[in-house]
Amino acid sequence: MKKIIAIAQWEYLEKVKTKTFIISLIITPLIIISFSVLPSILFREEDPKVELVGVVDTSGVYFKGLENELGKYKLADGQRNYVLINLYFRNKIFEELKKIADINVQENLLEGYLLIHRGGSDSVYAEYRTKNLGNFKNAGRFEEALNSIRLKKRLEEKGIDTSLINYFQNKAAVEQIKIEEGGKVSELDFLTTFFVSIIFILLLMMMVVYSGQMLVRSMIEEKSSRLIEMLISSSTPDELLTGKILGLSLLGITQILIWVLIGMSLIASSLIPIAAFKNIIPMLLYFILGFLFYASLFVGIGSTVNTEQEAQQITTYLSLILMLPVVIAMPVIQNPDFIVAKVFSYFPLTIPTVMLLRLNVENVSELEIFLTLVILILSIFIVTKISAKIFRIGILSYGSRPTLKEIFQWIKE
Amino acid sequence: MLVVKNLVKKFNATIAVNNLSFTVNQGKIFGLLGPNGAGKTTTIRTILNIIKPTSGEIIFDGNPITYEYYNIIGYLPEERGLYKRSKVIDVLVYFAALKNLSKKDATARADAWMKKLNVLEYRDKKIEQLSKGNQQKVQLIAAIIHNPKLLILDEPFTGFDPINQQEVKDLILSFLSEGKTIILSTHQMELAEKLCEDILLIDNGKEVSSGKLSDVKKHFGGNNIRLGFNGDNSFLNQFSEIIKIDNYNHYSDIQLRDDIIPSEFLKKLIGKTEVNHFSIIEPTLNKIFIELIKKNSG
Repeated sequence: MKKIIAIAQWEYLEKVKTKTFIISLIITPLIIISFSVLPSILFREEDPKVELVGVVDTSGVYFKGLENELGKYKLADGQRNYVLINLYFRNKIFEELKKIADINVQENLLEGYLLIHRGGSDSVYAEYRTKNLGNFKNAGRFEEALNSIRLKKRLEEKGIDTSLINYFQNKAAVEQIKIEEGGKVSELDFLTTFFVSIIFILLLMMMVVYSGQMLVRSMIEEKSSRLIEMLISSSTPDELLTGKILGLSLLGITQILIWVLIGMSLIASSLIPIAAFKNIIPMLLYFILGFLFYASLFVGIGSTVNTEQEAQQITTYLSLILMLPVVIAMPVIQNPDFIVAKVFSYFPLTIPTVMLLRLNVENVSELEIFLTLVILILSIFIVTKISAKIFRIGILSYGSRPTLKEIFQWIKE
Repeated sequence: MLVVKNLVKKFNATIAVNNLSFTVNQGKIFGLLGPNGAGKTTTIRTILNIIKPTSGEIIFDGNPITYEYYNIIGYLPEERGLYKRSKVIDVLVYFAALKNLSKKDATARADAWMKKLNVLEYRDKKIEQLSKGNQQKVQLIAAIIHNPKLLILDEPFTGFDPINQQEVKDLILSFLSEGKTIILSTHQMELAEKLCEDILLIDNGKEVSSGKLSDVKKHFGGNNIRLGFNGDNSFLNQFSEIIKIDNYNHYSDIQLRDDIIPSEFLKKLIGKTEVNHFSIIEPTLNKIFIELIKKNSG
């Protein structure tokens, strides 16, 4: 036991100090957070202000209508959002009007201006010329206003009641609301819950891949330098294996703790609503057990590997398996009873990630949580046993990578 | 005292070690010799309890190998390398911890050894910052820091410059007076010849020769003389007493028939050539090694 602790301590301390670990610790959540939270911060609307918008209406029929239509957009203090300025003068040539208006925009006298060409009698083609193309909202509102004016004109011509327009513009709306246990209504919109589980899955994946790579790399170093022989002439292979898994798990727990701290500060800053973490206990369980499962798998597989390239191949395959839930996410969301999802929920390699997903998009029964956790824990024991057998021989086999047949022989021995 | 009895190790169909028996005495250096692939590493690994023998017994100081054995054994593998990105002192303390030493004890011993081998100044440096020779010194310290009773050294001299080789040789000899049991595996026959009292020469997993080095030499035979002379060596062809001649620049090493007395042979030579050197020589271990392995495989 003393030796196991010494090995675990060494594995932990030497890896915690590495740049790879520190980078993965900080960079991983940063990347994930920036991908998931940043867009919502960026798209948060700016406080609206009064905007001066010029209108060059060569037909001369739209200006009044636009003023009416856009008049409905008001600021909080009751002012109009858009103040329109008629830039059309009959005695000026079109090109000249355009030139003057362009200069006005460039000198920031105007937010932009609407250049309306009258195409045929039915269609209208307009340009919104501005320095700032990113503002889809303005263009959308102008389009809506122009369409509504067109409709009104045609209805008037035909002698139909123009108030029908308002009726057309009120559309039917359907909102999705998730019903929780006990008939409560979830306060969370679907996207947030979905993103929270994807974040957890990505974190687990990154963590498994990073630490797995670190572990395999250090085992390759030990093998290629024959350090392993000094190690196993000092302790049994089982002690070494247990120590390594323990050290790696400590490393994982350190990561989780730091990430939980980051998560808590995000909640505190209300970037992520606390309700997104209501399943936090089963989620953490799947997370930690999933990590342990993969750690014990890596120790076994890692012992058969001799080069960095082989190691990379293996970690790539494993991360693909970990990514599986992202692939089946849509069908699971559309149909929580999706049979493939159910099957993967009981398959040890995919239990952690698939369950992390399902926990957040549907109501998973407590029985199912219990069963999958039991399967996961049993698998950890079995994988550790098998890994130990592979490890015992694998660490001493150099040269070419053993075939699957040989590995099966090792397991049988 | 280490006793190995009828050691056999099979890997599937191949027999790596075929019925080896030998005894390594306390306070002596035992030379485990043989060409590449002879089964030395496998033999060492079974002694180290890294792999289980197919059959046979390994007994140290009267007891079969147990878990405790790990803490009294020291091993320096042939291929060197340490955790490159770790600090020297950390690595030494880790290896000591694996031998059940406390951190305090390990640090004190590591410092003492580093001082003795002139590497104390690198104590807090990373391994990769050290020269190859100094890295090897650190690894040697890692192998002996727990004061092992049984020490197995696989090619301990490779990679050291002559000064450091001398240092390591003195160190190994100092262990003898402390009563350690030492197994030395090497290809450097000159060093083995100087250090080892007993040897075991193996090839293809089988014993080729074993015993006290002096007995091995005697047994190998060797009615050998070294003859120095002026001029051409063709006159030697007329002697039926000569079995074999190795010609060098100014002398020849000559093997005589066993029934020939060297001094009688000298008498015959006088008059035939101008003799300026005549001595009786023992076969070198190098020569024994080459001859025996050739004979064995031929």
